[in-house]
Amino acid sequence: MDEIVAEFVKRTILKIPMAEMTTILKAWDFLSENQLQTINFRKRKESLVHDLVMLCEEKHASVNDAALLDIIYTQFHQHQKIWDVFQMTKEPGEDIDLFDMKQFKSSFKKILQRALKNVSVTFRDTEENAVWIRIAWGTQYKKPNQYKPTYVVYYSQTPYVFISSSRLRSSIPLLGQALTVASKHHRIVKMDFRSRYLDSLKAIVFKQYNQTFETHNASTPLQERNLELDINMDSRIIHENIIEKDRVQRVTQEIFGAYPQPRLEFAQYKLETKFKSDLNRGILAERKEPLRCLVKFSSPNLLEALKSLAPAGIADAPLSPLLTCIPQKRMNYFKIKDK
Amino acid sequence: MDSYDIPESTSSRLKDHFIGATPLQKRLESVRKLTSFVPPSPQRKIPQCSQLQEDVDPQKVAFLLHKQWTLYSLTPLYKFSYTNLREYSKFLSAFIVAEKQKGLAVEVGEDLNIKVIFSTLLGMKGTQRDPDAFLVQILSKSHLPSENREGKVLWTGWFCCIFGDNLLETVSEDFTCLPLFLANGAETNTALIGTWFQKTFDCHFSPLAINAFNLSWMAAMWTACRMDHYVATTEFLWSVPCGPQSLDIAYAIHSEDAKALWDSVHKAPGEVTQEEVDLFMDCLCSHFHRHFKIHLSATRLVRVSTSVASAHTNGKIKILCHKYLIGVLAYLTELAIFQIE
Repeated sequence: MDEIVAEFVKRTILKIPMAEMTTILKAWDFLSENQLQTINFRKRKESLVHDLVMLCEEKHASVNDAALLDIIYTQFHQHQKIWDVFQMTKEPGEDIDLFDMKQFKSSFKKILQRALKNVSVTFRDTEENAVWIRIAWGTQYKKPNQYKPTYVVYYSQTPYVFISSSRLRSSIPLLGQALTVASKHHRIVKMDFRSRYLDSLKAIVFKQYNQTFETHNASTPLQERNLELDINMDSRIIHENIIEKDRVQRVTQEIFGAYPQPRLEFAQYKLETKFKSDLNRGILAERKEPLRCLVKFSSPNLLEALKSLAPAGIADAPLSPLLTCIPQKRMNYFKIKDK
Repeated sequence: MDSYDIPESTSSRLKDHFIGATPLQKRLESVRKLTSFVPPSPQRKIPQCSQLQEDVDPQKVAFLLHKQWTLYSLTPLYKFSYTNLREYSKFLSAFIVAEKQKGLAVEVGEDLNIKVIFSTLLGMKGTQRDPDAFLVQILSKSHLPSENREGKVLWTGWFCCIFGDNLLETVSEDFTCLPLFLANGAETNTALIGTWFQKTFDCHFSPLAINAFNLSWMAAMWTACRMDHYVATTEFLWSVPCGPQSLDIAYAIHSEDAKALWDSVHKAPGEVTQEEVDLFMDCLCSHFHRHFKIHLSATRLVRVSTSVASAHTNGKIKILCHKYLIGVLAYLTELAIFQIE
């Protein structure tokens, strides 16, 4: 193992939290059972890492082996990256070929290597016909930088690709090209959809988010349950209030469903719309230009928070379609202009 | 309608600054006179802020800008003297070093080789009656090759009073009124300085929180300020601590558009009224409601930010524009005085 590889191996192992060490090393499957048994995992981390690096040295670990470990670490810590969603399209009328994973990988790698002499590409297959790709970027003259890789998650049975946000913007066009050509698509487009929660992005993009609903209260219609609660809590609520509360609950449920919402952290709206005053006071009446606003909603779980606004009386029900369309449109970045 | 008595020595320049009965001053007076609180009528006014007093050297106050200050209100200092600043520096230095050596407020590897400097900030006042503002800095003495080199500033705090006549009237000669205290630096140092001042001058610090009402006033006043160019967008932050998940709504509007909205709302020249502030905020909220069907008025305004200054409800502010520095401080002094009363 040369110095660079040894350093890469060491730094990758060092990232792994102690609690996950054995799990991740087992998933890596590079060091044998026998070798792992010789290690005392109760040691202090620095000394443990040193021993592990020695074992890797014995087995002549390569850059590719270390890169694979890095992929596994990232799979366990997906939330440390921000993921963008891209959609690929085929030309209309193009044949839908049978997807060949082997051919895709080889083609993808070749395209990148032809363009940049120095690039490291590592693959790891996962379930649902998906593949994780790790790319470390170099140039014609510089070796790949292993510490700023880009991760790509491609679900081969779909036109969707999830790419980790990186500051190396110059690599995106080449990456897009490699993906489209290797997967036999025509175009790739970045969707206005981004989050740390890859599984939520997936759930929304593949419309799987309504499949997790199931509670033991499912048999009781929601309205009845809420009515009971309300009456017990405050018998002074008059009839009209109950009707309105019920309506709000019903409408909210129709829009959001009764299942836990997929997790997004923010939604951003760039508004360029004219000011229209309900109060009829003529404010900004002569102004032709729109108001330029930028609105950003942030929450540990945005959709759950939005769902609770109408029942709390903070928003009207139904909530604005600008907010409720987020899962359907698979977007959380919007540009809104007057028609 | 009562009017505020302007001291005869005030030059005509000062008419352009914050004079007149603000809603807070009115409240103060009624509290002191033990009359029942009269809600502010739409005719309460404060003038818009305009030019800085010529005494303040922009260079000297540049270090106050673009820094985050944590605000406190401070009760009057008993037997504080501007002639004793050197002594205070020595005593405070000794106190800090002693406390840190006791291990009460030490961070690992913290440098105990420090020195405290008291200095006056000339011109940082509203009227001549306001006491001089003064500055306290903790500097690190280490790595100094010679005595002439200034050490690195570790902590800064300054005490000021801008248009504090309401408070000045009520206290005797022995007291120095500097109700507004601003601190920048480690919390532990702020606590140490606070303890020493409290012991030495029998005064009391209180964190100054800024409620939504005052944040709205600030947003309106600062939007009203004439600027040659804007360095930041006008931004509001609302917090919705509802349900299982909290939600933050950041609403930024292009500063020119905010100004256009304000100009359309604003009627009386040179003054800002409660009605105008309310209308300005209502317009922003209704524009928002039109798009999102959310009632911002039912949520909590926690932060406002403009090219003049930004303020957070937790009492942290940043002043970005030296032209309106005195104006911003005057409003904050008012809030501090109100909290003391």
